[in-house]
Amino acid sequence: MPALVEIRDICKVYNPGENEVRALDHVSLNIDKGEFVAIIGQSGSGKSTLMNMLGCLDTPTSGKYYLHGIDVSHMSDDEQSDVRNREIGFIFQGFNLIQSLTALENVELPLMYRGVNKRKRRELSIAALEHVGLGKRMTHKPSELSGGQQQRVAIARAIAQAPPILLADEPTGNLDSGSSKEIISIIKRLYAEGRTVILITHDPGIAKQAKRIITISDGKIAKDEINENFTL
Amino acid sequence: MEYLKSAISSIKQNKGRTFLTMLGIIIGIASVITILSIGNGMKSYVNTSLDEMSSGGVTINLDPKKTDRYLNIDDLEKIRDVVPEMLGITNSISANGEAVTDKQQLEVGITGGLPDIARENTKGMFDGRFFRQDDVESGAAVCVISQEDAILLFNTDEVVDKSFQLNIGNKSAECSIVGVTRSDEEDIKNAREAVRKKEQAYNWCTIQVPYTLLTGRFGLSGEKITSFKIYTSPGIADETALKVKSVTENLIDVRGEGAVQIQSFASIAGAYNNILNIVTLVVALIAAISLLVGGIGVMNIMTVTVTERTREIGIRKSLGAKTSYILIQFLTESAVITLIGGMIGILMGYLFTRIVQLFMSFPPVISPMDVLMVVTISIADGLFFGIYPARKAAKMDPIEALRQE
Repeated sequence: MPALVEIRDICKVYNPGENEVRALDHVSLNIDKGEFVAIIGQSGSGKSTLMNMLGCLDTPTSGKYYLHGIDVSHMSDDEQSDVRNREIGFIFQGFNLIQSLTALENVELPLMYRGVNKRKRRELSIAALEHVGLGKRMTHKPSELSGGQQQRVAIARAIAQAPPILLADEPTGNLDSGSSKEIISIIKRLYAEGRTVILITHDPGIAKQAKRIITISDGKIAKDEINENFTL
Repeated sequence: MEYLKSAISSIKQNKGRTFLTMLGIIIGIASVITILSIGNGMKSYVNTSLDEMSSGGVTINLDPKKTDRYLNIDDLEKIRDVVPEMLGITNSISANGEAVTDKQQLEVGITGGLPDIARENTKGMFDGRFFRQDDVESGAAVCVISQEDAILLFNTDEVVDKSFQLNIGNKSAECSIVGVTRSDEEDIKNAREAVRKKEQAYNWCTIQVPYTLLTGRFGLSGEKITSFKIYTSPGIADETALKVKSVTENLIDVRGEGAVQIQSFASIAGAYNNILNIVTLVVALIAAISLLVGGIGVMNIMTVTVTERTREIGIRKSLGAKTSYILIQFLTESAVITLIGGMIGILMGYLFTRIVQLFMSFPPVISPMDVLMVVTISIADGLFFGIYPARKAAKMDPIEALRQE
């Protein structure tokens, strides 16, 4: 049984030649199904590049990325879109909701791209919104919701299609501490329900919430440790 | 369906600027519709007028320069037998004279012919009957007059069985009216007015009589027929005329000399239509240039929209939207803009034609085919000019797009 995520010796080099920047320098990493991993690093450490790589938004200069044992590192744009749609639920720092759509319509988007029919789509989206406690705000536009509520819509959008991986990039970066706690507790609950969660952050306080902490610096993995103090 | 919904909702968010962009398309489509409908109107007006003129029949002439032969009245009957699809045939003798009643004295234009000459009167009978074959055989002094001329002569259109004195040259006969043909309301009104005001311009009328009245009692020559008229069904006028021509050539033995000539309006109508078609097309093409300019406006505003919505495109792509989805989304949006513009343009064009109608003697005609064509053109316009911005959107790199504020 292959690991859910298997990264083999990945490099990402910008401006190859004179002023080359090695954002990722021979990184290898396995993440199994059902793990709760935090990837922590300073800005410029390469964690954003790693997150783009894990999210199939970017392709490596060299090395391989196996998802479910399948090489997804050198696919075409459309194939990558398909992988993102099926395998990954994104939670972004800036929420990334479409302002002109209601909460419900935002949650429906990835299901629409997957080709789920309208009735089923609505059903799944309502369930997801209820799961994050927004059952009563479904017809609101993002601008009518607080930051925490917007992030919960984004989480609902990420889980509605039940992808194997939740990829959260600084999910609490734009939130006050109250909302942050709320979002972290929702993420923990999703982990407890059996989802694989990868959390990318620069904040040790947030990283500490995860069960496994990978520290990245200068494009290399500096530390990869189990968090002994993890509690649900 | 999804694409359409999303296109409409995003257009709604920028109503003002989208409308301004549409203006080019609206003006273009409106002018194309107006020009096409004026062209159509002119064509159908010309055709109806020519139709009316030629419904009087086709005249066949023997050219006196090429032959000194002629037909007689029995030859017309022979032609009638050989060409049964013909509706009628008659000789036509004209004369001028005076019509005198106890109240009035008018100049009169007299046309003598066979009963088939009744087909000249396309509006039908108002009262009484047309003269008949037995009137022709007996050379009876009977005539048919129009409603308006009856009013000029008798100050009433109830004139069947009334009679007047008909003078041609130094001969005269008491001519009795057997029938009245229908006239336009407008002409009847004018005749009544003229009688009331005793206008000099209305001192002339026309009557139709059996030709034998003119050749008999008045002694006019009419045995040598060098010109006659035939009446046909509208669709087969040309071929019937050609057949009559060749029959006539055989009868007087002048084959291939061009001595028998057809005078018809169908050929004139055809030439006229061709010219009108070309003029309409050229002017419509000039108007279509504004569609080009309008399309460029759409391309411009869609490029702006794509730039403004870079982040949205990034979000959609990160959620798994394929290139084709983004492409279709923006193509739909530009096509919807031009389609709406096109529909408003059709409406405006319709209003323009109504205004134009006030200043023209003929009604412009908006044909459903033109509307269909214009709708297709406006959609195509949007699709064509939407390609560039839509491709720009579809090819965006999701990481770059998400980084946009």
